[in-house]
Amino acid sequence: MAYEEPITDYDHIVENCTCAFCGSNCDDLDFLVKGNHVVGVRHACRLGASKIMEDEDQRLKVPMMRDENGELQEVDWDTALDAAAELIANSVRPLFYGWSETSIECMKKGLKLTEYVGAVIDNQATICHGPTVQAVQNVGYPLMTLGEVKNRADMVVYTGSNPMNAHPRHLARYSVFPRGWFRQRGRFDRTLVTWDPKFSDTAKMSDIWVPFEENGDYGFCNAIRAVLKGKELKEDVISGIPKQDIIDLTESMKNVEFGALFFGLGLTHTLSKQRNIDIAIQLVQDLNAYTKWVLLPMRGHFNVNGFNIYMAYEMGFPYGVDFCRGYPRYMIGETTTVDLLNRKEPDVFLVIAADPGAHFPGGANMHLANIPVIQIDIHWGPSTELADIVLPGTFIGVETAGTSYRMDSVPIHMKSAIDPPETCREDEWIVNELYERVKKIKEEAK
Amino acid sequence: MTYVDKPTVSNVVKFDDPNVKKVQKIKVMLNTGTDIYQGACKKRGSTLKDEYRKVAGIAYMDPKDMARLGVANWESVLVKSDWGEVVVYAAHSRDAPHEEMIFIPKGPWANVIVSPETYCCNDPTYKGIEATVEKSDKEVLLMADLMRSVYRKYTKNEKNVDELPSLGEMPVYRKK
Ligand code: SF4
Repeated sequence: MAYEEPITDYDHIVENCTCAFCGSNCDDLDFLVKGNHVVGVRHACRLGASKIMEDEDQRLKVPMMRDENGELQEVDWDTALDAAAELIANSVRPLFYGWSETSIECMKKGLKLTEYVGAVIDNQATICHGPTVQAVQNVGYPLMTLGEVKNRADMVVYTGSNPMNAHPRHLARYSVFPRGWFRQRGRFDRTLVTWDPKFSDTAKMSDIWVPFEENGDYGFCNAIRAVLKGKELKEDVISGIPKQDIIDLTESMKNVEFGALFFGLGLTHTLSKQRNIDIAIQLVQDLNAYTKWVLLPMRGHFNVNGFNIYMAYEMGFPYGVDFCRGYPRYMIGETTTVDLLNRKEPDVFLVIAADPGAHFPGGANMHLANIPVIQIDIHWGPSTELADIVLPGTFIGVETAGTSYRMDSVPIHMKSAIDPPETCREDEWIVNELYERVKKIKEEAK
Repeated sequence: MTYVDKPTVSNVVKFDDPNVKKVQKIKVMLNTGTDIYQGACKKRGSTLKDEYRKVAGIAYMDPKDMARLGVANWESVLVKSDWGEVVVYAAHSRDAPHEEMIFIPKGPWANVIVSPETYCCNDPTYKGIEATVEKSDKEVLLMADLMRSVYRKYTKNEKNVDELPSLGEMPVYRKK
């Protein structure tokens, strides 16, 4: 990549901003602001910086609706909100999906609307760490905060995840490189291990790379558990890894002072889904018979964990909560978004701060082509190509303040640094406005 | 403003390797997931641009597989699975060797060929899908054109969607 000159042309710096990208929620960012635009970002990684210095061309700035030819047309806020409220009020099985890239304050309003109309509310966990949440319900959660890892961990294992691509500052800020209280020499005091079939960018910089075969995670973790329990391994090669290597690795995992296992979607997206995580969690539990080990899922969006925590706190269930009977219900495979879409159940789909067009399998998205879709977002994305009503929101953490939860469940206040575009409205305001208007329609119909 | 117009890929495909047997089509295992180029481009919002198809409409392949098929970096391949088919660029994977395994970053292109099946467990199967790869002479579609040709939400009555003019790289809407 070409060398870029440092940015010197700015009016002022806003310090200690929080990155609104991945679950690492780095809260040490400095924004260089010029004329109500962020022209530079300090401390952020490539991902964070690119999101904060957004593509202005594709920023959604005005409310839009499809006309009879299917072309998007600019309309005023009242028209768009009324049309959206009308759709929601008259629907039988509305589905409100997204929420992971907006604030807890907005989710609060969303839950009120969901409860009022008897909809299903779900977030991105449904296509990423849902199985993790199920496994946690099955076998428990040996959790820590990232600060503990920074100060104590002398072995860090990543499996089914590639933080150098998905959470680039995770190693630098929390797990491997920083100097901690008991790890004064930083990287030199820690062993970095990657279990991944691919020689991923994280594997390339690891001390130990364990390339088990595709779909071999379940067998591999179980083999380690067997060795831990003093059992003899019957086969010479397990999941593509020689027996002696497994024994050696187990031995070194037993002999650390504090180990941390981080896992990603490589475990949840393969066929054994939540069973993979069950085993990973149990492996950590078994290791605790010898020394201290903890584990943490690498959550993707900056507030995907926040939604799960918020919903579990308010309603008792983490995601995929169905209010159609007037009380909250949660049933995996039944009230979760992709299953609902596969069964062609929803008749109105509201997507807020998410992009199903880019992230749902085509088979599920096909149903979105048959039903009205309302989109609340900040950028024109693949979902806009399927949306009938588009409501432009504001950028949490840059233009609007809000609360989010980091991957280790630490709440973080994200402050605002600049003013939102004049024609956009805060997500919280939009959802509340929808609630008020739906309520009015329903009351009048009584 | 963009940082990259396309991902940097090394060029190590050896077409004249005598050990490489030429074939029309290979069977592969398809994995999808995130990748730093895709993440940066998607979240910046540049999804309509040419850049997005270069970072997400791309299959990272083992160079030996590419030599067997006779495709070079940035040539098109057709990837087919039980769920659909899509044309993407081929490029040498920086994680190679991983013969008979391809990686397509998540995005509208990968969506066409991944399985929506959740096995009653809410999470679709995005990884470990059986697919085939063959050389293609078709162009990789831009995001808006791909969405139009796959889902046909607003072109249901159109007979030949693929012959319509491209929707381009900028948002299309009527201003007030
Ligand atoms: S690691 Fe994640 S939170 Fe931190 S700057 Fe990068 S994208 Fe933002």
